[in-house]
Amino acid sequence: MSHGLWIIITGSLVAASCGFVGCFLILRRMAMLGDAISHAVLPGIVIAFFLSNSTDNVFMLMGATVIGVLTAFFIQTLHTAGVQEDAAIGVVFTSLFAIGVVLVSLFASDIHLDVQHVLYGEIAYVPWDMATLAGVEMPRAVWMISGVFALSLLIVGLFYKELKLVSFDAQMAAAAGIPVVFIHYLLMALVSMNTVAAFESVGAILVVAMLVVPGAAAYLLTDRLGAMLGLSIVFGIVSACAGYIIAVYFDVSISGAMTTSAGLLFMLCFLFSPRYGVVSRVLEQRRLKKAT
Amino acid sequence: MINRATKLIMIFFLIGWALIGCSEKSTTQGNIDEGKSKEKLTAVTTIGMIADIVANVGKEHVEVMPLMGPGVDPHLYKATQGDIGKLDKADIIFYNGLNLEGKMGDIFVRMANQKPTIAVSEKIDPGILREPPEFEGHYDPHIWFNVKLWMQATERVKEALIKEDAAHKEDYEQNAAAYLKKLEELDTYAKEQIASIPEASRVLVTAHDAFGYFGDAYGIKVMGLQGISTDAEYGLKDVQNLVNVLVNQRIKAVFIESSVSPKAIEAVVQGAKEKGHEVKIGGELFSDAMGEAGTPEGTYIGMVRHNIDSIVAALK
Repeated sequence: MSHGLWIIITGSLVAASCGFVGCFLILRRMAMLGDAISHAVLPGIVIAFFLSNSTDNVFMLMGATVIGVLTAFFIQTLHTAGVQEDAAIGVVFTSLFAIGVVLVSLFASDIHLDVQHVLYGEIAYVPWDMATLAGVEMPRAVWMISGVFALSLLIVGLFYKELKLVSFDAQMAAAAGIPVVFIHYLLMALVSMNTVAAFESVGAILVVAMLVVPGAAAYLLTDRLGAMLGLSIVFGIVSACAGYIIAVYFDVSISGAMTTSAGLLFMLCFLFSPRYGVVSRVLEQRRLKKAT
Repeated sequence: MINRATKLIMIFFLIGWALIGCSEKSTTQGNIDEGKSKEKLTAVTTIGMIADIVANVGKEHVEVMPLMGPGVDPHLYKATQGDIGKLDKADIIFYNGLNLEGKMGDIFVRMANQKPTIAVSEKIDPGILREPPEFEGHYDPHIWFNVKLWMQATERVKEALIKEDAAHKEDYEQNAAAYLKKLEELDTYAKEQIASIPEASRVLVTAHDAFGYFGDAYGIKVMGLQGISTDAEYGLKDVQNLVNVLVNQRIKAVFIESSVSPKAIEAVVQGAKEKGHEVKIGGELFSDAMGEAGTPEGTYIGMVRHNIDSIVAALK
């Protein structure tokens, strides 16, 4: 299969998977969790390097996943204890990142160890990194992200009602006997797995954007969670495809172009959403004025 | 409501498919172009210094396509859509290795089953590479600062080109011999020039630790503010230590690098000034990337000469 198609598939899978779990983050006002994790994984890779004395993918991914889940865990714990969501995110990721910087300058300043170098992938190179599983040859990134995406769909499918109630009204959920704290931790763990797997495959910027933008755009179009989840997947896929075309046309960074087209798509929704769009609201006001 | 939502979703899917269709067309067009003109060997390289070797050894038989342009820090390089086409068309790929290219290097290792990918550093004896004592096997990748090591890289390129295109074996051997001779002269020039600096002032102060091989090969002490990793921030003590060395040894100049921000080194100059020792900035050195194409510094030899001349002029 052509390289271009694999890149579109990878981009779409990342966008769909991140957009999907990102919806819950938006509802919980934790949209910047992805960005937080992208910084917080630094100590993870440094410690993984000390333990394994290698910058091999597997070890880096393990270190990053452990710290990613820990980041989510710390943020959730602080939030449960009464710290505001955004403050909890800010405190946790800056502290972890700083620990990473201190560790690097204390012990590893003579070797090349930073997240860009050893962890973040590049979507342009995805088609050359093939892996064969059960006789099927696909890029390693496609295997990994479709695996994570399937797991996300499964978990959200199993706990759909609980997640929905917890996201919209945690107090009522608690009153109804739903284990709110457990559901929160579950969601956070899911997000950090998604994020780290996607970082390793396509780099940070695309992931951070796709966790927020498709969900936010979908939120403008619908008030129903099911439709929001569906729309965010669609928006993600459309941005990935449009972004790839832009990247081919202007010969620019692919993840950059995909992120930009997600931004453009959001702008369209922001202006022309039937209910919350700027244009439709102006039209509505005019119609009301005429009627009076 | 449900109807509306499903309709919307269907519309977006249709748009999505149409877009995929369009982009498919454009990639197949790319493949058609590729079929033409296959007389020359197409070589893709990472850093400009390697492109320079391949251009000098391959001459008219090889078309060189460097991925990283002038002034680009290889540690922070971001791929563009065009790189895919380049890597796709390449008959042979040359990269530095020793983890300079990070994850991109891993990709080249995996691509080796599809086309020859050659790390120019791979035949160099690890015994002469710089290795931090605490971390075995994690060598300093900046081998081009020692011209002798870069000559070994040239040999590696020559071997690879001959293996790939045996018909022009003699040309490659001649070209390589001519280039190696120039490098040999460059090496001698570097040794002589650096030796002309009084021994006590042979200290090269730069922002980041890339000049280790240069220091070892030509007998100049190298001190960097930052480690090799650009994520390792320099500490307050680093600045103070450096300032003390400058003041105590009466060192005249410090240097900035083409691919690293000069801010840090300016702090050191300021610090020395407060202690009553005037240090000037001795000029800009090329470290991880060469100068603009077309200028003398746009070639490997020109870049090394520029570095040596700047260092000698400022420290003598």
